[in-house]
Amino acid sequence: MRTGASASGGEPTTQKNISHRGEPANPSAQALQQKFGGSIKRVEVIWGETVVYVDPSSVHDVIRWLKDDPSQRYDFLSDVTAVEYRDPEVPIEVVWHLRSLPFRQFLRVKSQLAKGKPLEIDSLYDIYRSADWLERECYDMFGIRFRGHPDLRRILMWESYREGFPLRKDFPLRGRFSRSEQLRQALAQNPEARYSMEELSIADAYAELPQEMRDRLSKGERTGE
Amino acid sequence: MFRAYFPVLMLFGFVAVNAAAIIVISALTIRARPTPVKQQAYESGVPALGDARERFSIRFYLVAILFIIFDIETVFMIPWAVYYKQLSCFVPLVNNACPVGNISFFGLGEMLVFMIILFVGFVYVWKKGALQWD
Amino acid sequence: MGLSGPTERRTVSYAPESQEGWVATRLDFLVNWARANSLWPMPFGTACCAIEFMATAASDFDLARFGMERMSYSPRQADVLICAGRVPFKLAPIIRRIWQQMPQPKWCISMGACASTGGMFDNYAVVQGIDTIIPVDVYVPGCPPRPEGLLYGIRMLQEKVKNERAADKGTRDEMEPDPTSQLYIPPSVIDELGEPFGNSVNQTRSGL
Repeated sequence: MRTGASASGGEPTTQKNISHRGEPANPSAQALQQKFGGSIKRVEVIWGETVVYVDPSSVHDVIRWLKDDPSQRYDFLSDVTAVEYRDPEVPIEVVWHLRSLPFRQFLRVKSQLAKGKPLEIDSLYDIYRSADWLERECYDMFGIRFRGHPDLRRILMWESYREGFPLRKDFPLRGRFSRSEQLRQALAQNPEARYSMEELSIADAYAELPQEMRDRLSKGERTGE
Repeated sequence: MFRAYFPVLMLFGFVAVNAAAIIVISALTIRARPTPVKQQAYESGVPALGDARERFSIRFYLVAILFIIFDIETVFMIPWAVYYKQLSCFVPLVNNACPVGNISFFGLGEMLVFMIILFVGFVYVWKKGALQWD
Repeated sequence: MGLSGPTERRTVSYAPESQEGWVATRLDFLVNWARANSLWPMPFGTACCAIEFMATAASDFDLARFGMERMSYSPRQADVLICAGRVPFKLAPIIRRIWQQMPQPKWCISMGACASTGGMFDNYAVVQGIDTIIPVDVYVPGCPPRPEGLLYGIRMLQEKVKNERAADKGTRDEMEPDPTSQLYIPPSVIDELGEPFGNSVNQTRSGL
């Protein structure tokens, strides 16, 4: 039942009394297993939400297919995050929350990164623009680098934050430096150092300008507003 | 005849003395404590970026010019309106009324000619797109 | 500087031979009365305490009867910086700069537990009390403080304002942060202020 509407054909309803493991899986899970076979490690349904575990090297292709295929059309990436479990043997999982607005489906895609190796995975920036800041947040909090991200830098903490990655399990709650050192570093931050005034004023509207105006701007002409 | 303006003169004098006193007393009593950060422009707590002297869009100037022109047209209409009764009569008014049979459209016609000339200008401005804000 | 030892400000002496004359005391009274009853607040509201501040300004509790209904969102026209809410480290230089851009005379009310001590957020991201960044005159405890609590703090500030003396040269001095570190109190004092205490000493979760 791809449409997500209730059986009576009216408005979509919220399902009540969802069981822990017994709900039916999202049909996309089976479609993924048929299409990608070995890359799909595991499928679980927890509290009605389908989780698909994917091999890290094929995540980009899997999600690209999930977005582009007409029977899947997961056009909304609502979250990119990561999980580090208390057991140090368990790898870190990167989690993507995909929603299909036309079909009203939700899919959670996870990929496991072993802790001994550098934490790197492909960026979804070329598939979803929202991945821009979502992946920056994931990098800021966990230290996971996203290959192919155009501008991977800290977003929640300030850019020159040096204490580490706050949501990792080995990061102490109060941070690694003393309070006075944290304050000293915080007061020394300078976010405006990245941009010049022209870049700031032009960057926003640049894509909407006609081509000949972009040529004139690139030659240094200043705008009037 | 000028005695009537004496209170106005007193008011001017009081205002001038008051303003001067406020400025002079403040300058003498204030102990200024300038610091470099205090002197900088306020920009929500971040260091101010860029120059405040930016070029303004020309459409503000256009609106101002058009306003002046049509406002002056309106100003010219006011004395005409005051004397409209006289202007629409061939003979001088009798008891503030125009004698029967002497109605003229001379005043109206004159003002209409004036307005038509300016209306042509208005149509030109309109067609040229000067009234487009964007 | 008040915490590191006896203050070095030049204060008014109460010895009889140095008593100020009648005119000076009356002038002090007049100026302080005017200032205390027309404190224009700058609401630096970041979180939940800002809502309580708005409630205090609204009709049920009414700040207007204290002369404080004219909120100034520009520091240039404000008398009191009311920091209502938690201040993350990323916001620290901003509140510092806004404080420095307020002209004298200025006071600061730290409203709520988070602005006073960091509140329940004893973590890597929240400043453990804005008094580590700017000098605070009145702390209002609460999470959030009830409007009556904030009004009590404002009354306390008004009493403080009324007890100032023009002859006291040091009161209206600007703070001078250390040029390299930008801290205005010694780092040991900041560490001491930011130490966990009470229940949170046992809830570190950092030794996992």
